[in-house]
Amino acid sequence: MSTTSTTAPSRTSRTSRPRRRLARFGSTGFIAALPFLAPALVAYLVFVVAPALESVRLSFFEWSGFQGAPQVFVGLQNYVRIFTHDPVFWTALSNTVIWVILSLVIPVGLGLVMALALNRKIFGRNLFRSVFYIPGVLAPIAIANMWRWMYNPNYGIGVNLAQLFNLPWLADVQWLGDKNLALYSIFAAFVWQIAGTNMVLFLAGLQGVSPDHVEAAKLDGANRWQVFRNVVMPSLRPTTVVVVVLTIINSIKVFDLIVGMTGGGPAQQTQVLALWSFQQSFNNHEYGSGNAIATVLLVITLIIVVPYMVWTAKQEKNS
Amino acid sequence: MRAVPKIIAVGLGLALVAGVSGCSGGGSTDGKTEITWFKLTESADSANTTINEIVADFEKANPDITVKVEGRAVDAHKDALRTTLGTSGSPDIFFSWAGPGLGGEFIDAGASLDLEKYYDEYGWADRFSDTTMSTVTQYGGHDGVPYTQRTEAVFYNKELFAQAGIDAAPTNYDDLVSDAKKLKSAGITPFEFGGTVNWHVMRLLDSLLETKCGADTYQALVTKKASWADESCVADTYSEFATWTSDYVNPGFISINNDESGALFFSGKAAMALEGDWFNQQVRDAGMAEDSVGIFAFPTGTDRIYGFNENNYISANSKHPDEAAKFLDYLTSAEAQKKFIATFGSRSVNVDVVPADQNAFDAEWNPIVAASTGVYMNNDQNLSQSETTEYWRIQNLVATGELEPSKAGAEFQKFIDQE
Repeated sequence: MSTTSTTAPSRTSRTSRPRRRLARFGSTGFIAALPFLAPALVAYLVFVVAPALESVRLSFFEWSGFQGAPQVFVGLQNYVRIFTHDPVFWTALSNTVIWVILSLVIPVGLGLVMALALNRKIFGRNLFRSVFYIPGVLAPIAIANMWRWMYNPNYGIGVNLAQLFNLPWLADVQWLGDKNLALYSIFAAFVWQIAGTNMVLFLAGLQGVSPDHVEAAKLDGANRWQVFRNVVMPSLRPTTVVVVVLTIINSIKVFDLIVGMTGGGPAQQTQVLALWSFQQSFNNHEYGSGNAIATVLLVITLIIVVPYMVWTAKQEKNS
Repeated sequence: MRAVPKIIAVGLGLALVAGVSGCSGGGSTDGKTEITWFKLTESADSANTTINEIVADFEKANPDITVKVEGRAVDAHKDALRTTLGTSGSPDIFFSWAGPGLGGEFIDAGASLDLEKYYDEYGWADRFSDTTMSTVTQYGGHDGVPYTQRTEAVFYNKELFAQAGIDAAPTNYDDLVSDAKKLKSAGITPFEFGGTVNWHVMRLLDSLLETKCGADTYQALVTKKASWADESCVADTYSEFATWTSDYVNPGFISINNDESGALFFSGKAAMALEGDWFNQQVRDAGMAEDSVGIFAFPTGTDRIYGFNENNYISANSKHPDEAAKFLDYLTSAEAQKKFIATFGSRSVNVDVVPADQNAFDAEWNPIVAASTGVYMNNDQNLSQSETTEYWRIQNLVATGELEPSKAGAEFQKFIDQE
């Protein structure tokens, strides 16, 4: 009897757990929301998840990309190839990492500084906001063309500045032809393009900073830096998460600017993973290698973005 | 009332089916057979007009056949072929470069119909030269019908040559180097190239390879029958290439494209350009005086001319191969080719068509072509796409001083061996 009396509640507990979970699931309103979510969910599965899974699948095959051409299963061979034999992969990976780090520092920092400056009531504030934001709405390939002309070694801005200030060495700078300079020359165009967008996001976030909190901090004797550090920045945390995540994703998949300005050259020295994946697939007809690179890119993105989002969610919950 | 939505649904369904049917390539409409032709959009409007005229003439003579021409830019055309060949959306006829690195991949994929039957029926083998026929039979069957035969040589500015004290075009490689030195001493950029499009500078490297290695070794190298690491002429080639790119090519060439570098030639800032027969029209369009520009073959010393071929292929799964062959027969006929060569270049693939009323500038090609005994092809057509990408990477590493010329051949061979 005693045995029965001790085990019965346990069994009841095990069997009721799924019911409770189901009840909790229903109480969140998920089931009720499902019909409304379904169209977007289906579109997401068809246009995002399925192609991503197909890309991962193709990374284990050798395929020229031609319809009807056989897809030959090669296991991990494409991964071995890109990690050990591919003369461009490590350059592309290194450039991608440099690009991500610089993107998190320069355009994000610049966007925040511009937002703080233009959050004050100054003359021409709306004009400046518009001027700084405009590059963000231009097509990247148009920006690439514009900056390529500016960097032109025969009639670009360097040549004109050299004549204006009598600095002949400036005319000899190969902005896009010097392997040590080319990546950073393209990055300058990226900063010009993206900093204004970051500024707008930070400006939106700044509207949520309570003036009462700022005033209270000032009354408590906080200086400008302390107000920024302890009042403004914590209020900007949700915006910062969005900006950082978008910046990481945008910088990892950077493509158009490099295609338009150097095509990955000179000698693949400005190559990045997203572009190399594309060129391996569509130019070199190496769909297996191209998709293996795309899969590596996906894994890198998830490794960086997911822990950051989990961490910030915990921070948000704790605060 | 319930019937109304059903009627609408059935109507929409039929419209959809009709629409989808209309999307498929080729077909029969109004008792006519429609054939589709995927081709490049020509850069000169006059050339597109000529194609339309030829198609109209064909349709007039063959009222039961219509030709639907779909023109695209180079990369879009390659994408279209890659995604449609072998499917129900493939065209009846498709244009492609004939070299193994480009057209060869489509043929390997089984996308081309063997045209031996039509070569017999129309007697095409007699219509084309042995050189152009070799591009048709190089894969073992009869793939494609010759469309153009492009030749490339050095265009030079006679006035700039005269300013540098040069009174004649060079006839051997040493003279070419000597002339480049004279031009540089006179403050003139000897050669213009645009490096961001790798194939432009590649022309210089290819021509130096032919010069230093000779015809037999060149062919052995590009067909991988000889090792790029072992042939000493490869190191000599890259060494010469490094000298040219550092001393005699426009500074900063690596960061501009061929259009930007071409402007240097048109504006009289560079003395030479390594271009093809399409460049005659560009010289005219740029407003240069035709008599101020001369043409000479790159003096490789092998008597082979630099160039490549373009063919039109019939899809393996075309439902109208007879009609397609009939159109290609007309396209390469003497009647159509007379119109064709007036805007497409100075030479026809049809051996019976001799340019009439050719001006002196276009006629400069005649002795160059007549003196050649063969063709050395652009290496982006000889090599596979991935090999070409590596060939360009190494070319640019040498050009920018990042790789010693003596190590370039071994670097390329390593890539070939690891494929």
